[in-house]
Amino acid sequence: MTALKLENVNKSFGPVHVLKDINLTVEEGEFVVFVGPSGCGKSTLLRVIAGLEDASSGTVQIGDDIVNDVPPAKRGIAMVFQSYALYPHLTVKGNMGLGLKQEGQPKSVIEERVDKASKMLDLDDYLTRRPAELSGGQRQRVAIGRAIVRDPKLFLFDEPLSNLDAALRMNTRVEIAALHRTLSASMIYVTHDQIEAMTLADKIVVLRDGRIEQIGSPMELYNNPANRFVAGFLGSPSMNFLVRSVPGVAPGQTIGIRPEYLGLRADGQIAGQVTHVERLGGDTNLLVRTEQGETLTVRLFGQNDTQVGADVRLGFDPQMAFYFDETDHRVLPKAA
Amino acid sequence: MAHTTKQKPRYHIAVFLAPAVIVYTAVMIYPLFNTLRLALFTEIDQQRVWVGLQNFRTLFGDAIWSDQFWNALGNNAWFFLIHMLVQNPIGVALAAILSSPRLRFSAFYRTAIFIPTILSFVIVGFAWKLILSPIWGIAPDMLDAIGLKFLYAPWLGKEEYALTTLSLVSVWQYVGIPMMLIYAALLSIPDEILEAGECDGITGMSAFFKIKLPLILPSIGIISILTFVANFNAFDLIYAAQGALAGPDFSTDILGTFMYRTFFGFQLQLGDPHMGSAIASAMFGVILIGVCIYLFGIQRRLRSYQF
Repeated sequence: MTALKLENVNKSFGPVHVLKDINLTVEEGEFVVFVGPSGCGKSTLLRVIAGLEDASSGTVQIGDDIVNDVPPAKRGIAMVFQSYALYPHLTVKGNMGLGLKQEGQPKSVIEERVDKASKMLDLDDYLTRRPAELSGGQRQRVAIGRAIVRDPKLFLFDEPLSNLDAALRMNTRVEIAALHRTLSASMIYVTHDQIEAMTLADKIVVLRDGRIEQIGSPMELYNNPANRFVAGFLGSPSMNFLVRSVPGVAPGQTIGIRPEYLGLRADGQIAGQVTHVERLGGDTNLLVRTEQGETLTVRLFGQNDTQVGADVRLGFDPQMAFYFDETDHRVLPKAA
Repeated sequence: MAHTTKQKPRYHIAVFLAPAVIVYTAVMIYPLFNTLRLALFTEIDQQRVWVGLQNFRTLFGDAIWSDQFWNALGNNAWFFLIHMLVQNPIGVALAAILSSPRLRFSAFYRTAIFIPTILSFVIVGFAWKLILSPIWGIAPDMLDAIGLKFLYAPWLGKEEYALTTLSLVSVWQYVGIPMMLIYAALLSIPDEILEAGECDGITGMSAFFKIKLPLILPSIGIISILTFVANFNAFDLIYAAQGALAGPDFSTDILGTFMYRTFFGFQLQLGDPHMGSAIASAMFGVILIGVCIYLFGIQRRLRSYQF
């Protein structure tokens, strides 16, 4: 069964066309990540699914029902906001229970569901505290708990980790992945961070300027990007795009090589000078300026003692290179 | 480093504090204590004589004085009650309506409702006197136009209505202040919290009562105490509309007008600064007690929220 189906969804704010012909299907139990640069419309798309914004045209189907005219609370969704959006005047328990109370659920049901969620999220010790007395990570868990107690068909996460520090972000990411396995619920997750997208998603939706650029599993997108935008957006450090430095690339074409597929080789096709070295312990990143004046990144695994200013030659496996035409679409290499 | 700071007395602190301290002392602290001091004297044969608490004994013990005092205090309490029951709920309601994103011309309404607040009390008092006048006022004609003329009464001239009428005029004048304060408080509630409520099914009226109202309670507390202080210090509107005798038959007399009459004298009554100071001291006491009850009894229980 499909959890969500979007057909030709458009959204305009006055003259500004924010979402353009979005078609998307989310299967039951799938973890889907919307990723794209800021302003690409990913949050707006999530809000259209939640019902906080109305689609200008097209249909939104959750489960078996077309929900275009259904208010958010009746759509069977629960949303976790970027700022957590907890009710400041209520305790953790009150925050989680308010939605059920509004639905008119009996006290015993509310107790039971809040209890279950708080066990799952390790919130038992904080049930009587107010949001102001919690740390960022705890608030985040309360926000997730508030979503869980509603037992939704579809979870919506709007950049839930962007207010956390780096260490906590990693932990919470793992927790969200674990939660997805435990609940086996359908989840949609919005982020601008490609690492979150790669690590969490069953399916990534890459958006740009209100359009879907490509949909696929993380490795599909990584190994087989449809265009230059997707190729450049996923992967860190991002892909090198070269026009002049590699011999044999046809005029008008761009060759894209991921930093990890470049290596220092005496017989390499690319010659250049190291301008900067980042030593990360596990990896070493080199910034190299080629003789043709283009800058590229090389990711070497392990530690490497190359110094700034060294002249190097770089080689790569042609199988691992991507070619793009003038319109940035992926093409086969043309003979020069 | 420690001993060098010890050697140099930090005069600059005193220098920087001086302007505020001097101005505040000159216009607030000195007059306050001088008034309290003045209340302990009286004038006999044009000589100022120390009488201790005698003025207060007269104020609370003498039948004529204490009648007037309790009448003024009771009227003042009613004046305050009307403000709390009418002005503040209307202010909150107006703010809630104004903060609705769907309302058009909200800037116009906001300004229009706030304008009476910046009008002089003389204009307001006189204008309402004219509006409500049974002889040349427009109120009887307007009621007649919608067939409700039987409801009309000379509200400012009847003992049983005059105080309530003036309280409502004051409400009309000042309702913009709670409206603005609550409006600002409502705007500071983040949209995401209201959207989270929307996802929880809390919309419309229940969003107001379950989410917005609890979050603006601290502002309502502040407004209540401001209303209390302003009402118990009120004088101007009553004086402008009814004169210092606060007629009819002292039915609109509040502490401010009572104090004014006593201190400066009016018509046949001679001014008595010492009794006037005693009344002013009593007003100070009433307000002090009220503010303390609020600060220690209510304010502590209100949480203010950071978003």
